[in-house]
Amino acid sequence: MNPVTAGRRHYEDLAIGETIELGRTTVSRDMITGFAREFDPFPFHLDEAAAKASLLGGLASSGWQTAALSLRMLGDTFLNTIASMGGLGFSDLKWKKPVMVGDTIGGMATIAALRRSKSHPERGIVTLDLDIRNQKGEPVMSMRLANLIELRDPSAPVAAS
Amino acid sequence: MTRWFEDITIDEIFPLGSHSFTEGEIIRFGRLYDPQYFHVDPEAAKSSHFGGLVASGWHTVCVGHRHMVDALFAEEDRLRGLGQEPGVSGPSPGVNRMDFKAPVRPGDTVSYTLMVTGKRPSNSIPGWGLLFNTIEATNQRGELVYHAELVGFSKLRDYRMPIGVRLAMLARRLPLLGRLFTRTG
Repeated sequence: MNPVTAGRRHYEDLAIGETIELGRTTVSRDMITGFAREFDPFPFHLDEAAAKASLLGGLASSGWQTAALSLRMLGDTFLNTIASMGGLGFSDLKWKKPVMVGDTIGGMATIAALRRSKSHPERGIVTLDLDIRNQKGEPVMSMRLANLIELRDPSAPVAAS
Repeated sequence: MTRWFEDITIDEIFPLGSHSFTEGEIIRFGRLYDPQYFHVDPEAAKSSHFGGLVASGWHTVCVGHRHMVDALFAEEDRLRGLGQEPGVSGPSPGVNRMDFKAPVRPGDTVSYTLMVTGKRPSNSIPGWGLLFNTIEATNQRGELVYHAELVGFSKLRDYRMPIGVRLAMLARRLPLLGRLFTRTG
């Protein structure tokens, strides 16, 4: 048994349709330019004038920052409460609207699917749909994440389905 | 890369360089964005199926993105050096898929490559084209770290805006009419 995750929810404890409220994060100018300098130094993430002239229409966060901040909210509200074994990846990530200086993002994760891993049947896979919105309720980003999770009983037979 | 949409060759492979991940930066990124125990606590990480500290997949992706941006800037400089005007890259509408394959541990060196697998003019943003990009990250043993399929915007050089499109662009600046237009695609 894994002593770190023993007290957390396991694969067997999750249900399809469960929703997780992710909380909120306000995105400041310093956060945007700080992240951009390290990971995404396009002028439209660093400089107000360049941002106004770009497709974004003003200083906006890197899409990867919006994703990373959303991941942090998901970690605090969900991934660190379950016996997570790490992410497998994601699909259909859509940046729908830029996140501008001073915007507050938040949203919801929904368990869309639960299944046993094909290559490692002693592990589970939880699929989560993320819907991230700004303070006006406008969708800014969505994606589907796949995350590995420990089984409480790794020897349990895989249900035929 | 930062060429005009028309000059981008399909299936050409661009090496983006490599990065060695230290324990310190893995933990720093983990604490900020992905504070799961196997990304932030080397001791507790021994209990995980990884058997030790590993980088957040998102960390390896953000570093890969930085390498792509640096390569775009280098290509811009190269074109200017040849006396040519470089093209213009825009923000990305999204990522079709991202598969994390092998974990990245402290001391691992990850190399990134970019390939443009397809392109077409944008339906919703006149004067811009969509690029379909594949980025692959591999470690020093040649194992695939991640495979990503991304979409990017690139400006068309030979675009003359028709009068109907000019009017539509004007209309989308008006509050009510603007809602009829979407940003992506």
